Amino acid sequence: MKEDSKEDLRENPKEVPKEERELRGQIIGGSISEILIREKAGAGLELGELLIVKEPGKSTILKVVDLRFGSQISPQNIELVSGMWLEEKADFEFMEPDLRNYRMALAKLMVTVKGREASISKSLPGFFSEVYSIRKEDLSFLGKPSNALFVGNLRSGSREIEVPVFLPGHKVLSHHILIAATTGRGKSNLTKCMLWDCAGKDYAGILVLDPHDEYYGRNGTGLKDIKAHMPESSANPVVYYTSSNPPPGAKSLRISLDTLRPEHFDGVFPWSEPQRGALYAYYNEYGTNWIKAIITEEKISNMKDFNEATIGVLRRRMQGLLRIRPSVKKEGQPREIVCRGIFSEEAGRTTVSDIVNRLEEGKIVVVDTSHFEGSIEILIGSIISHEIFSRYKRYKTDGTLNRKPVISIVLEEAPRVLGKEILEKGPNIFSQIAREGRKFKVGLWAITQLPSLIPRQILANMNTKIILGMEMAPERQAIIESASQDLSSENKSIASLDVGEALITSNFARFALPVKIPPFEEFAGKSGSSNSDSPNPQDRSGPSEKVRNSFAGVM
Amino acid sequence: MKFAHLADCHIGSWRDDRLRAIPIEAFRRACDISLKEQVDFILISGDLFNTALPEIPSLNATIAKMRELVDAGIRFYIIPGSHDFSYSGRTMLEVLESAGLAVNVAKQESVSEDGKLKLKFTVDEKTGAKITGLLGRRKGLEGSYYELLDRESLEKEDGFKIFMFHSAIEEYKPKNLALMESIPLSLLPKNFDYYAGGHVHVVFNTQEENYGRIAFPGPLFPNDFSELEELKGGGFYIYNNGNLEFRNIQVHNVESMSFDCSDLTPQEIKAKVLEEVEKKEFINTIVTLRFSGRMRSGSIRDIDWNAITETLYEKGAYFVMRNSSHLQSPDFEEIKAEVGSSKQIEDNIIKEHLGQMKELGLTPEQEFSIVKELIEALDDEKQDGETKSSFENRILSKLQGWTERELKADLKSSSN
Repeated sequence: MKEDSKEDLRENPKEVPKEERELRGQIIGGSISEILIREKAGAGLELGELLIVKEPGKSTILKVVDLRFGSQISPQNIELVSGMWLEEKADFEFMEPDLRNYRMALAKLMVTVKGREASISKSLPGFFSEVYSIRKEDLSFLGKPSNALFVGNLRSGSREIEVPVFLPGHKVLSHHILIAATTGRGKSNLTKCMLWDCAGKDYAGILVLDPHDEYYGRNGTGLKDIKAHMPESSANPVVYYTSSNPPPGAKSLRISLDTLRPEHFDGVFPWSEPQRGALYAYYNEYGTNWIKAIITEEKISNMKDFNEATIGVLRRRMQGLLRIRPSVKKEGQPREIVCRGIFSEEAGRTTVSDIVNRLEEGKIVVVDTSHFEGSIEILIGSIISHEIFSRYKRYKTDGTLNRKPVISIVLEEAPRVLGKEILEKGPNIFSQIAREGRKFKVGLWAITQLPSLIPRQILANMNTKIILGMEMAPERQAIIESASQDLSSENKSIASLDVGEALITSNFARFALPVKIPPFEEFAGKSGSSNSDSPNPQDRSGPSEKVRNSFAGVM
Repeated sequence: MKFAHLADCHIGSWRDDRLRAIPIEAFRRACDISLKEQVDFILISGDLFNTALPEIPSLNATIAKMRELVDAGIRFYIIPGSHDFSYSGRTMLEVLESAGLAVNVAKQESVSEDGKLKLKFTVDEKTGAKITGLLGRRKGLEGSYYELLDRESLEKEDGFKIFMFHSAIEEYKPKNLALMESIPLSLLPKNFDYYAGGHVHVVFNTQEENYGRIAFPGPLFPNDFSELEELKGGGFYIYNNGNLEFRNIQVHNVESMSFDCSDLTPQEIKAKVLEEVEKKEFINTIVTLRFSGRMRSGSIRDIDWNAITETLYEKGAYFVMRNSSHLQSPDFEEIKAEVGSSKQIEDNIIKEHLGQMKELGLTPEQEFSIVKELIEALDDEKQDGETKSSFENRILSKLQGWTERELKADLKSSSN
């Protein structure tokens, strides 16, 4: 084909702006669901790469979803040529090899951009349109929503573009987030970056149940360090509860037994119906002393309705789980209980309300549960979540909910409480929040390796999904089927995500956003500087160097 | 070693003379018991007085009693509390110390180069006990002191150590004080034998791993209506070689009565109260009457309060108090406000008006505590015999340290 005749084949050739862009290929076919692009020789298109077609008055953004070879030579001849190379050591070259053998990309239409407005593409770009690399300025329509939550920098294939991606934090958090990935793909790093970004902003309070004690940063950089990056007069936006040797300023995790209610144990133990009935019978009769009454073998008035063995199971489970036991019997004295764990008779009477108060102030509350077995962690989460949910329901009733920040609950290994198996035995507060939470500005931030274990209905309710690398096809499938955008052609892209790379699908994004998440230490360091290009929008100053030299009243 | 641990005496509190006399009497009785028990020394963990500069009669009575004990060889160790702390440092506690009646143990060794607060131990000559502590300020403003405390030097000191403090501990707050500012246990230095707490008006003690005995004796006498209802009386601890004993101080009996007046007329309310009153004796008793509910007719002022109080006094009551903040007349238009003690109402009003001191760049918490401390500083009356100009000078001197520049400097260093 002659070079000068190529122009004539393009639609509206004269109106294509001549820019100094890197030409990546040309549209040569396909359909609205899949565009076929011939790659320019040496362009090296990548899976997941973002491309742009510029046309008069509009641009179309595409994403590479598959790559394949193309050739003008027939398959038999290709096989023959290969045989000659391999077997005969033939030394010859193709004439004009880049014309005859090439690579092709299948791309998906993402959005059509007109000015600063972007919409789902509903028409094809011009046949034979040139396809270019995407640039920072092509993405100005992404903008920055109110209560912006940073989720990474935009990524084109494996190339990071310096475009921070923000989602509307208050909406995203109340409509639930799912972070799904295989181990080692960067779930914790992403969560740390997002928490850091949320810290100090008043639109959200976040409860972090931390089974690995990795977010606060006792032994390294973590959320504890954010205070040093805040304006001097700001209160510390992070509160840390731990049961193990709290560092100065941290709170000892103690919860008073009189805080506990029977419903807090839903999802912790698979109670049988009689056992559940006995729990409520004790609660109804003894009120806030119901646990003590079970442990110290007090009777209930309708004792005959329950089998002795049933009560025995309650007692044993409570003793084991809560680490409490009855004191030695003394003649003529009521039996007391001995508490050895975090549950106590005398301490922690305001712990749960303190935590929820802090959340209502828009703080991040990290609860270190690394020293407990999973069921205790779930119980703690259940107690706090019940308090959050009941308060926020009340606020909705009395009309004050709109003045409250969103509360999000970070749950690691979410299928423990949201899995099909556990929910078949009955609902719990987390499944209730997953279903109804967004109406009350309470959301879940569920983290898992195995999204397929979560019922489809709950997955569908999680309106923002951040997908990091996932090798297992069933897990990818579960996500794809419940995504906010059509990810049917993204299976390979998801499978090929490297560490720190993610694909975000959200009701609050125009298209599925490919992002690269920065390493937390780098992100925290950067946002601590006064760098105005920092993705973190907060006006954070560097660590204060002022030294206090007076303490009023201390002589 | 034997010592008494008092806190929150609030001498000079209550407006009515009859009630105002009670904290002084309670203090006298606590001192008498301590003398009789031959304690080695007495700790007062803040709020000995209800204000930094108490009125003369209260002060006179307190000094007389303290002198008696000091002469008997019993020393007082004190710290300022949120009520008797003064920003300028001009408090009656300073006078007590100058007069040799008490030792304020909230003393610093030095401020180290890194801005750490290094506290100094005061050694009790009789027992060798090493005592130190930190004062209390309004709205938990002392929290920043704890954050900068040089714990290491305190923790590695050997001997029998006592730490005095005037702050709520978050882990031990009672439910009804959930909103009270507090510090986490982790901010207290470890390895002390006894932690003498004040500020929280509850009686509580516990033993904590790495911390020793932590004790709050509560007030010597309740400080408001709700506390009278709940606590009835007061008391203090006596520590005797590891054993801790609570000693009650009951100057007057307290009888609390609550009446649900829903759907009653003023006449029926009166009848209901008098019927209850008839059943009991009230000799030497402080009586609290709490009314709640929505009346069927009439207004609250139609209730014959005089007849009720007179009947109670006739039956020997020492003092009668009434709280009808939760009582509504039928034509009462509901205003949504959480009504509680006068302190709560005051706090609510301040909170409603926060955000008006923008030029200082304060957080709401800081603004709140500044306003509270200012109210406290200015809540004073001209004393008998005091001239107008000396009264003005006294008030102005209390405001030393309150200039915008000084406030900014203090707040800046507080938030570091």
